[in-house]
Amino acid sequence: MRSTLFSSLVLTTMLIALGAIFLWVPTEQEMGIVQRIFYFHVPAAISSFIAFFLVFVGSVQYLRTRIDKWDHLAQGAAEMGVILALIVLITGPLWAKPIWGVYWRWEPRLTSMLITFTIYAAYLMVRDYEAHSSRGPRLGAILGILAFANVPLVYYAVDLWAADQQLHPPRNVELAPEMQYTKWICYGAFFLLLFRLLAQRMELARLETTVARLRLKLSDDA
Amino acid sequence: MSFFGRTWAILRKDLQAEWRTKQRLSPMIFFVLLVLLVFNFSFELGGAALREIGPGVLWSSYVFASLLSLGRSFADERENNAIDALTMAPGDRGAIYLGKMLGNLVFLLAIEMMSLPFFALFFNLSPGFFLLPLLAVFLLGSACLASVGTLFAAISNNMRLRELLLPLLLLPMVLPALISCVEATGLVLADSRSDALYPHLQMLGVYAVVFTVLSLMLFEYAIEE
Repeated sequence: MRSTLFSSLVLTTMLIALGAIFLWVPTEQEMGIVQRIFYFHVPAAISSFIAFFLVFVGSVQYLRTRIDKWDHLAQGAAEMGVILALIVLITGPLWAKPIWGVYWRWEPRLTSMLITFTIYAAYLMVRDYEAHSSRGPRLGAILGILAFANVPLVYYAVDLWAADQQLHPPRNVELAPEMQYTKWICYGAFFLLLFRLLAQRMELARLETTVARLRLKLSDDA
Repeated sequence: MSFFGRTWAILRKDLQAEWRTKQRLSPMIFFVLLVLLVFNFSFELGGAALREIGPGVLWSSYVFASLLSLGRSFADERENNAIDALTMAPGDRGAIYLGKMLGNLVFLLAIEMMSLPFFALFFNLSPGFFLLPLLAVFLLGSACLASVGTLFAAISNNMRLRELLLPLLLLPMVLPALISCVEATGLVLADSRSDALYPHLQMLGVYAVVFTVLSLMLFEYAIEE
């Protein structure tokens, strides 16, 4: 019941966001219609960092308490973060082509996102590979902590490396009120979707663990 | 024994074993030489290419060599279940990490110093005192590779696909350090006496300290059975 309510809230917010993006918000003067990618690109980027932060929280808590729930949070959040980062990396070049003239530039924020994406993709590979071993959660937690510590260093190093290549606008761009509202709705939609999917993923992981335990018990009894 | 006493005991054991067998250093130096050759044929290098791709070629070969070396650092302990004896010893297990990490650092530095003459020869680099800051870059860059690399070597040591997993884990993780290593090396090779070198060294120092401390804290969890 609660999850159905939550799901309908997510769906409603997503529909409102889509309506705002495609029907309501005015077209940006300089970039034209392509600027509407912004409403997917930026919220996805912010959401991916929230997900990576949750990986860190889950990892630290798992090593401290050894409660499965925290490990499920870390793993689920890592999966969500990688998907969201992928959305950023796909919408980015689509937006860049008409504006910068090329799909890909080794531009600081683009490069940083790509490196962050590869770090968490490696995390998921280890998790997948160690899925049926008791070591998986423990090793995953170590990686989750190291990966998060690396994110600021990645940004600092890449900025140092290609400061003159910076093409992203500064963070505090003035937006028209309609654009501002649409942006907030999109943030809301992405955050809600992130938490809904994460809850679903954690529930799935809990069931998987339960089934694995039962199976082990059955084979012990037999 | 104190923490540093145990660290020193592990470091000395690793160095002594290497000194007697030379099973890591000689293949690694040969490996770096081969990588330099491969790059040479891939890019048809000449003296002019030194500044553009020289630093990248140099660090790529070091990273590949370090992957081989790091993989070995816990493999020897695995072979006779020596790791069990190490973990049974009383006291903080961080000492095992630190000893291994310093050992890896020494091996990396040794490879870098010994392969530098080949690099200078192939790239027509005339030696001079302007290369001295390269020592700082090598020291900090190797510390970065060894810090997180030793922990990952311990983690992947117990896995079946360890030879595959170590590079998958290590390469994305060390990319920020690698960027600064390549940039700093480029600045030194170009003999630019600018202040531009300093932020890169700072970056490498921060990276090495952050990941050595984190690895010291997390090593306990990496080897528990």
